[in-house]
Amino acid sequence: MRAKRWVRYTKELLKEIGIEPERLEMFNMSSSMATAFAEAVEEMTRRAKELGPSPLKRKKEAA
Amino acid sequence: MIVGQRKPFDEIKSYVDGCEKILVLGCGTCVAVCMAGGEKEVQILASQLRIAFQEEGKNVQVDEETILRQCDREYFDTLKDRVDKYDVVISMACGAGVQLAAELFPHRVVVPALNTTFIGIAEKEGVWSEKCRACSNCLLAETGGICPITICPKGLVNGPCGGTNHGKCEVDKNKDCAWTLIYRRLEGQGRLDKIREIHPPKNYKVQTTPATIWHAAYREEEA
Repeated sequence: MRAKRWVRYTKELLKEIGIEPERLEMFNMSSSMATAFAEAVEEMTRRAKELGPSPLKRKKEAA
Repeated sequence: MIVGQRKPFDEIKSYVDGCEKILVLGCGTCVAVCMAGGEKEVQILASQLRIAFQEEGKNVQVDEETILRQCDREYFDTLKDRVDKYDVVISMACGAGVQLAAELFPHRVVVPALNTTFIGIAEKEGVWSEKCRACSNCLLAETGGICPITICPKGLVNGPCGGTNHGKCEVDKNKDCAWTLIYRRLEGQGRLDKIREIHPPKNYKVQTTPATIWHAAYREEEA
């Protein structure tokens, strides 16, 4: 579960610079778990819509 | 090795706010092994700074470089001609490396990205523990290879004290009593007679600050 630790740490790094850590997530599944994969995609799509464009993109658009 | 921890991002950023050209300088030895200031950590910090400045709408150049050791002058040779173009150098070395960088580039601001914490060992991946306080007067031959100056919170050279409790320390019950560890190690080696020896108070006179040592082969140059 080394990757899990590093994903958690990367979320902290994002938080430090003002980017929502929810933009990054790790899901565990095997290649045959189509439903779980679809649910993960839906979850991340939902989050992306809820959070809106990334702070960096917002800054670029404002400029 | 020397173990360090990265400072909080906000603290590091506060050192370089207002600068336009920044060099993040890593050290490829101790602090690289303890995942605090090596090449990967340079990339992480530099990326964080770029993103943070971009979010603020600031055009700041953040470059990366890692040399093998920041505690040896010769490894800085490749940087000599480049450093002048930066406003500030963020050194990700231990305190010794930061100071050598500052000494070699006196006209540039050199700031630390790490807090240097101790001399220690890797317990497992991502975990380090202190083992040596660099006291200049090593007792390990007498104590079964366990340092009471470091491991005992009281630094007792004769022990255990009355605060030992089933192998744990009264100062912190989660920590092992150094002198119980020493007793068990000596017992296992059949050298329990060592625990009866009374050690004189530690000679702190040998621990000069700041210390300088000369290798025996180079002592003529000292004269």
